Amino acid sequence: MSTATTALRGKAARPAGPIRLWYTALVLVMAWGLAAWIYELRVGLAATGMRDVVSWGLYIFTFAFFIGLSAGGLIMASSAEVFGIKALKPLSRLGVLSAAACVCVAALMIIPDLGKPFRVINIFIHPNWSSPLVWDILIISIYFVFSVVDLYVLQRHVKEPSRWHTTVRVLAYIGLPTAILLHSVTAWIFGLQISRPWWNTSLMAPLFVVSAILSGTALVTLLALAAERWGGFSLPTETRRWLRGFILVSLLLDLFMVGADYVTMLWGNVPAAKSAIDLVLPNGPWSWLFWSEWVVGGVVPLAFLLVPALRRTPGSLGIASVFAILGVYAFRAELVVVGFVNPLVQYPPGNAVGTYNPATSSFQMIGRYHPTWVEYGIVLGLTALFLTIVTLGYEALRLRGSPPSGPGPAAHGDEPGGKAMALGGEVV
Amino acid sequence: MAAKTKSRTRHYAMVIDTNRCVGCWTCAVACKEVNNEPLGYWWNRVLTTAPNQSTSAKPPASPNIDVPYGVYPNLELAYLPVACQQCNDAPCVKVCPVQATFRRDDGMVLIDYNRCIGCRYCMAACPYGVRVFNWGGHEYAPGGTVGYGKDYYVDGRLVFTPYRPKGIVEKCTFCVERVDVGEKPFCVESCPLGARVFGDLDDPDSEVSKLVNEGGAEQLQSDLGTDPNVYYLPVARRVPGES
Repeated sequence: MSTATTALRGKAARPAGPIRLWYTALVLVMAWGLAAWIYELRVGLAATGMRDVVSWGLYIFTFAFFIGLSAGGLIMASSAEVFGIKALKPLSRLGVLSAAACVCVAALMIIPDLGKPFRVINIFIHPNWSSPLVWDILIISIYFVFSVVDLYVLQRHVKEPSRWHTTVRVLAYIGLPTAILLHSVTAWIFGLQISRPWWNTSLMAPLFVVSAILSGTALVTLLALAAERWGGFSLPTETRRWLRGFILVSLLLDLFMVGADYVTMLWGNVPAAKSAIDLVLPNGPWSWLFWSEWVVGGVVPLAFLLVPALRRTPGSLGIASVFAILGVYAFRAELVVVGFVNPLVQYPPGNAVGTYNPATSSFQMIGRYHPTWVEYGIVLGLTALFLTIVTLGYEALRLRGSPPSGPGPAAHGDEPGGKAMALGGEVV
Repeated sequence: MAAKTKSRTRHYAMVIDTNRCVGCWTCAVACKEVNNEPLGYWWNRVLTTAPNQSTSAKPPASPNIDVPYGVYPNLELAYLPVACQQCNDAPCVKVCPVQATFRRDDGMVLIDYNRCIGCRYCMAACPYGVRVFNWGGHEYAPGGTVGYGKDYYVDGRLVFTPYRPKGIVEKCTFCVERVDVGEKPFCVESCPLGARVFGDLDDPDSEVSKLVNEGGAEQLQSDLGTDPNVYYLPVARRVPGES
């Protein structure tokens, strides 16, 4: 089933305008990202806002964010089997597709962060097994291969349910622990480091797993809602209820863990931890991240999930998802940036920044970080790549299924075959 | 990797006497020259502290150097020169995904310039903030470069090069190219107050051994378990009014 032919078929069947516009926009953003990367290769990482004090930035926390986003799909597809949640089955293929796309984009996100991207092969030639990064690359590769295989099996399962049923179940039992391992290992990149008290907590792995489930589920929800709006996908009420429940529970757990970490740091008076939390709390220079995390990503989605009046508004689930994702992104940014901004050495003149500017000091005590257009360009380009993979995959896998109860709003009669309906049929 | 390395019977260490340090930055500037450090780089720097403070113990008195701590007339001021601590259990060695950062068995932590992929994980892992990354190639102060001026290999691995490649991490090498021919690191050589002592910890009669074993020399943030090979002699002070 070639992508090109399916895309053509899709174009012939539906109004070509919007989808063509969508692809054109995505290609333009990706081209912009590629141009930014070529510029960065020529200039060096001086093209970014990172320097020796804040030596990881937008790339790394967006990488951690995309790793988190990849959770939802696979965990949902696996939960449908492992815990027998039938209502989640319609989301299996969309979820695993998004998981594969997310983890692929996350892996690519590391490349522009490397000073010597063409030496990345050294990781496979001279791996250092005590480095969490090596384990992370290993588990990312496994996870990606697994998602692709799982997607293939789920696709076959739609056509021949009886033949592939056992395989789907077996893969589900492998998928769940793999997903949890992926997020734990990614958390350990940060959590194991004794140098930075902001990171060095055993809560990091569970926190990453929970925030990954939160953002991943929210992402799959948004993709499903978008597919329902524009792509003839159907999202049964029962499935929505489960999504709402997943988001609510994981959001509460996420805020609980972040809060528990704050309390631990605040109660003590350890200077290096205290100075980190002071950067984030109200009146600190990075308090906007605190507000993004607790109000934009906490209070607002909780209100849309719990307050009856808000809950009944159309699109409350989508709104809650958007805000929950923003909150998780703020958490990732806060984790990485504040970890670096918080001074390692609290004495003047601090650390050298590594570049020379006659107008400013070569030293910083409290780190500063402003991403440049190059970083934004590359991150947006890779985000566009994610959306492209998902859109193409959606078309290629013929995920548009007619709902079990009555035709969907965008059922244009362009169903590639009645078999695709089997997906929807499973729900009941 | 260890099997290929020739066995060395020494264990290099440095002791810095904070009683003697006056914060003149000669070691930092000398380091910059001998190692051809480009503009904006400091492998070695001198922090303004209160006496006997570890690197993250209390908030700074001022963002500027040479500002004393306390309220007049009870002021105090000390200096803490900080470069790579050459840890025996170095976090940077543990996190490096490609074994570009390695510890030679005489205690020197070095970076293979030809292998580093520039992921900067070591900079995130180092508790002392002593690593620098080459963000945009090499730009030197007018007058060109001075110092060692040629490539230096350890066991076939490039650990120093005068014209720095873009996109890799570097740091203090304990002046490996000088030490290997029997000289002292340049900061030790250049300190006008003789505050730095360099030698072999495996030799019980060496000055560093005596200072470490009997002289009360301490490691920075020793609670982290990194076990540095750079030691500091605390400021010995007598407070008037106390016995």
